[in-house]
Amino acid sequence: MKNLIQKTLKVREIPVFLGLLIVVLITGTANPAFFTLSGFQDITLGVAVVATLAVAQTLVIVMKHIDLSVGSTIGFSAYLIGDASSKGHGFWYCMALALGLGLVVGAVNGYLVAYLKLPSLVVTLATLYIVRGLFNEIAGGNTITEDMVPKAINFMGLNTFFGIPYLFLVAVILMLVVGFIMKRLRPARDLYAIGSNLAAAELVGIPVARRVFLAFLATGAVSGLAGAVLLARFNTAAANSGNGLELSVVAACVVGGVAIAGGIGTVYGAVIGAVLLQAITMALGALGVPQFWQLTVNGILLIAAISLDRYLSTRVKPTSIMGTN
Amino acid sequence: MAPNQKAVLEMRDAAKAFGGVQALKGAELTLYPGEIHALLGENGAGKSTLLKALAGVHKIDSGSITLNGKQFEQGSTRAARDQGIAVIYQEPSLFPDLTLAENVFVGRQLQKGKTVDWQGMEKESRKLFEQLGVNLDPTIRARGLSIADQQIVEIAKALSTQATVIVMDEPTAALSSKEVDRLFKVARNLEAQNCAVVFVSHRLDEVFALCSRITVMRDGATVGSAPTSEMNEAKVIKLMVGREISELYPKLEAKLGEVVLKVEDLGLAGQFANINFEVRAGEIVGLAGLVGSGRSEVVRAIFGIDKYDKGSVWLNGKKLKPGNPSAHMVAGMALVPEDRRQQGLFMSSSINKNSAVTMLKRISKLFIVRQKDEGKLASDWGKILQLKYATGHDPVDRLSGGNQQKVVLAKWLATEPKLLIVDEPTRGIDVGTKSEVHRLLSQKAQEGMAIVMVSSELPEVMGMADRILVMREGRMVGEFDRKQATAEKIIAVATGASGK
Repeated sequence: MKNLIQKTLKVREIPVFLGLLIVVLITGTANPAFFTLSGFQDITLGVAVVATLAVAQTLVIVMKHIDLSVGSTIGFSAYLIGDASSKGHGFWYCMALALGLGLVVGAVNGYLVAYLKLPSLVVTLATLYIVRGLFNEIAGGNTITEDMVPKAINFMGLNTFFGIPYLFLVAVILMLVVGFIMKRLRPARDLYAIGSNLAAAELVGIPVARRVFLAFLATGAVSGLAGAVLLARFNTAAANSGNGLELSVVAACVVGGVAIAGGIGTVYGAVIGAVLLQAITMALGALGVPQFWQLTVNGILLIAAISLDRYLSTRVKPTSIMGTN
Repeated sequence: MAPNQKAVLEMRDAAKAFGGVQALKGAELTLYPGEIHALLGENGAGKSTLLKALAGVHKIDSGSITLNGKQFEQGSTRAARDQGIAVIYQEPSLFPDLTLAENVFVGRQLQKGKTVDWQGMEKESRKLFEQLGVNLDPTIRARGLSIADQQIVEIAKALSTQATVIVMDEPTAALSSKEVDRLFKVARNLEAQNCAVVFVSHRLDEVFALCSRITVMRDGATVGSAPTSEMNEAKVIKLMVGREISELYPKLEAKLGEVVLKVEDLGLAGQFANINFEVRAGEIVGLAGLVGSGRSEVVRAIFGIDKYDKGSVWLNGKKLKPGNPSAHMVAGMALVPEDRRQQGLFMSSSINKNSAVTMLKRISKLFIVRQKDEGKLASDWGKILQLKYATGHDPVDRLSGGNQQKVVLAKWLATEPKLLIVDEPTRGIDVGTKSEVHRLLSQKAQEGMAIVMVSSELPEVMGMADRILVMREGRMVGEFDRKQATAEKIIAVATGASGK
């Protein structure tokens, strides 16, 4: 039993989860409105977009890479869906368009990072600008309005399933699927190996470039499809949609224990991190704290998260000659 | 190890060149199942190249490798592993964030159906650890594991691939004596399971205690191979050294002057201890020893890069404070580091900038570096050193290794130091440039500079130094005058051979 408790405490996601509980409890006590169903729905609906993207981002961060282009991709994709739908195209056509955009951006990122060995930070910063630039050119001053949004998407954004917003369910299902893949499928385990020790990964014969390429492709694909989530959430899209989202996404991952140094972290952590950041934003609102403080708190939380990581990793004691004792 | 048994691996007449350097030429190796086979040779004898050929990192240019009667498919680490060769490098390459179980099976995780079988991997690795006689928990992560334990995980990995040949490259270099004992047990265990174990070590006492056969390499060729019972330490050393030390080294007689450097009882916990020596003006003191014997650590401490926790360093009668290299530079000390790419040069900066970087104070006015002076300083030194370059504005990484080394030397000689420390001054550079570097060092000594030279090349130390100090495992274990020094004596002291 003691062993089980120790093991549980070692799980990286636990501290974040406890942090989340504490935030919810404190806020709920101070402001009972927070504890209601609508309080729950506010948080879960509010976090859906970032949580979805955080799941995808985890794929690249565990490889010690980063994808900053997701904010531009999701915004552009949301616009394209609305635009195509308003021109009379069906739902699946719109989704195919979204997926196509995501795959193209992901393939470009992946090719440049995996095969040309360019640094992902710079590559995806560049594609962030390029995609946003194209988006601005195509969208101009147009705005997608509610009547242009495909019916199915509109429905998803406004309704709940036994009290749980559909959009949050989408994020949770994605999390469970990707979580299973990352734990149980060999190619996905390679991502952890690559992020943990690149030279060794090459030495044991892991096809590093192919894995890196596919991970960026997958992240791009999810970001493209997630355009539907963004559109459903706000029922509108314009040239600035999704602006800056990438940073919230990276913050969520890091707070959730996905190490920016690679090799470690799970999609569960990333989603919990996203929910924690969202809960804090809401909590500060519920407690009447001026809104600009929420950014400061997010920043402090980020530093706390990486400091905790540092502390935990330096605390590991070298094993003795007789193994672990 | 019955001699009439069929060999598991045979390497015949292997050759391999890198650019102009012939790393292997006439390399031979025969391994039998169920033996521990020592591979010996001085630094640069070609052992590493041979191991890397077996590991699938390099492809040999000519010759043949046969494994279990079939031709060995070269040039892929994965293929080497699949054919049953496992190489354990001196620095194990585990994945710190993965569990030990996953480290054992990385890249080929066990599966149940189409998904990774975690329990199966844990069970299997636990079995492997038990088989090796060690108590490691397969569910912990590899981060923080001692080198000894990391090696065990690597060996478990080798066993899990059904390797028939397990190569260990200087596995004991970083181990304590207790850990060495455990490794020996594991190696004997492998021997009993009919593996062929290749054991590379510089410690002859270990080799004679553990191995059943010995192969010696020199200058890329195999110069001897026999059962341990037919060998002794003297014979092995003779095979390793072999060549006559030529008079390539233009050492000039120099008058010895005052004591310039005095090192008193220097020590750093876990690195080195009781280091005492003096260097006089005009004297070249060679610091010999095996790689990892603590020579570089000592000179880094003397130069003030690393701190020391015991003893003191005196330059020209003045005691220096530890941990402040720039004060040491002002006091008249210079260090040309071992790894020039990492520590000696700003690779993408120009030759001029690199040469002048230690002299910025002298050629600056109000913190602005005068470009003209920078260029002049560099070209003056370029002439003295016969540096071959197009323009001083070219980045250093466009130069050959030998010329890079000259730029590093220029950079430090420009400070006109009273004491020059050079760490492996001619590693990886061609013979011509080598003798130019030697000529320059000798000339500087004659002009009254005190020089400490760390070198793993015995001929170089013996050819250049007035006095040779030998280190082993962080201690000074021998001192030889230029006249008394022989390669056999130095190797015997450096390897801790007991004179069997």
